[in-house]
Amino acid sequence: MAAALHQLTATELGAQLASGSLTARTLVEALFTRYDAVNPAVGAFTHLDRADVLAQADASDARRQAGQSRGPLEGIPVAVKDNIAVRGQPLTCSSKMLAPLVSPYDAHVVERLRAAGAILYGRLNMDEFAMGSSTENSAIRLTFNPWDLTRIPGGSSGGSAAALAAGLVPLALGSDTGGSIRQPASHCGVVGLKPTYGLISRYGLVAFASSLDQIGPMARTVADCQLLLHALASPDARDMTCFAADERSLATAPAPRALRMGIPRGFLGKGVAPEVAAAVQGAIAFYRAQGCAISEVDLPSADLAVPTYYVVATAEASSNLGRYDGVRYGHRSAQATTPVEMMTNSRSEGFGPEVKRRILLGTFVLSAGYAEAYYNRALRARAKIRAEYLAALADVDLLLTPTVPMPAFKVGEKSADPLQVYLEDIFTIPANLAGLPAMSVPCGYSGHLPVGFHLVGAPLAEAKLLAAAQLFETAHGFANQQAAL
Amino acid sequence: MAEGFDIDHLAKLARLNLTADEKVLYSRQLTSILGHFRALAEADLPTTIDDARVVREAALRSDEPGLSLGAETVTRLAPASRDGQISVPRVVDDEA
Repeated sequence: MAAALHQLTATELGAQLASGSLTARTLVEALFTRYDAVNPAVGAFTHLDRADVLAQADASDARRQAGQSRGPLEGIPVAVKDNIAVRGQPLTCSSKMLAPLVSPYDAHVVERLRAAGAILYGRLNMDEFAMGSSTENSAIRLTFNPWDLTRIPGGSSGGSAAALAAGLVPLALGSDTGGSIRQPASHCGVVGLKPTYGLISRYGLVAFASSLDQIGPMARTVADCQLLLHALASPDARDMTCFAADERSLATAPAPRALRMGIPRGFLGKGVAPEVAAAVQGAIAFYRAQGCAISEVDLPSADLAVPTYYVVATAEASSNLGRYDGVRYGHRSAQATTPVEMMTNSRSEGFGPEVKRRILLGTFVLSAGYAEAYYNRALRARAKIRAEYLAALADVDLLLTPTVPMPAFKVGEKSADPLQVYLEDIFTIPANLAGLPAMSVPCGYSGHLPVGFHLVGAPLAEAKLLAAAQLFETAHGFANQQAAL
Repeated sequence: MAEGFDIDHLAKLARLNLTADEKVLYSRQLTSILGHFRALAEADLPTTIDDARVVREAALRSDEPGLSLGAETVTRLAPASRDGQISVPRVVDDEA
């Protein structure tokens, strides 16, 4: 029996669209049917404008009929995390603070997708302002892991990962400040890539921690992830951290069997669930059997990564979120007679508990008398971590670790202890601190729950990551995984 | 390291109203989190942060007007507006 449309990859759908055996309208109507059947239970989406999607699909079909296809993404639906601006669609960051806002403009990545002929397909749930690792911090709704609806999908791009694993959409955008693409990708059995800092413009991404934030592609196969990455990566003068055209040579794909892989000493030990460690050891054994040189590397400051990250990220967040004052957009309290009351009441009513916690923490680490002990020391620790990673990556092409120490936990299981949730990101955070590309690749299961391994490369080594991931995916049964729903 | 932690002062700096229960909760949680940060205080760290600059050398844009959203769009997004301007509670008293 032929696979249903929602079970096909973007590459497969693109081939059908190109051959004329499928129209974009038929495709999105099939996805609407899937949405009605599955999204109420999974909760990946927070918004879907069907009339707009149909109009985009019809426009795509008309272009193709006229011989004006814009390329391999023509007619392919791409869903967008709710912190990336799409003109005319809600931009809420899953927060009450922004719930009334409809974006008046497109993010750079959305401009790129429109130019590529893709269909902007709905808004995806997330932890409020991307602060969280479970999507439980959404002020709109919970999202559940399609592989086990009693468990979290990861976060903060939990809606993106869950939508892919549930067959709701073939491609999705996420954002990653400390692991927010890779951790949910691991928990949901999909592929997620955080690019090199500066590869993809953040123009139109709501800022959380600007020295760490990146937009990245999420998909069910490595090839689809690569397809989306190449559509998104482009110079943009509106994000001054974005590489100019002459600075962004993505290397051509290397011979994956010639890659040298480093295994950080101690990363598969304490705190890693045995089934996660076994799945990752299986990936290491695979690469060794393929002829890749495997060696242990030392990253002695790895234990500093989580505290460093939570100082830097919350400091930047407390500054970035200062703009939410009830004046220009978003929520304004009705209970205010002075400007200060308006700001304070609006923020207190609009922000959820985790956002308040991080603003307070960031305010503290930047406050007079404490900035040297916390923020400035964190910047120095960040320098040390980055130097150690770059030194390791001078000797090997890629670092391989688990993406997350444990499989997805139960909804509510860690709600009372934010520190335990912060430790979910222990393996993913260093790539953000050091500005390095990294991705999560499905590699097995812990019981019925997906497990991913994590690859980190030197700046602009995306081609090495993708080549290594493709080699593994081709040899195993983890491509295009979807949960049975 | 968390000596002098004052939740009331922090809330004021952050422009947040906290209930009595929230003050207790956040004080406890922030104390726990800051305790985890102790590793930073004890670590042997470089004295400079030059290498931490993952932000590439930022080129300044030319100081020229560019496209903007326009007054109609901006006031439509605002929670309250009047006569083409964003309105807020009175900032200066009449007698001030």
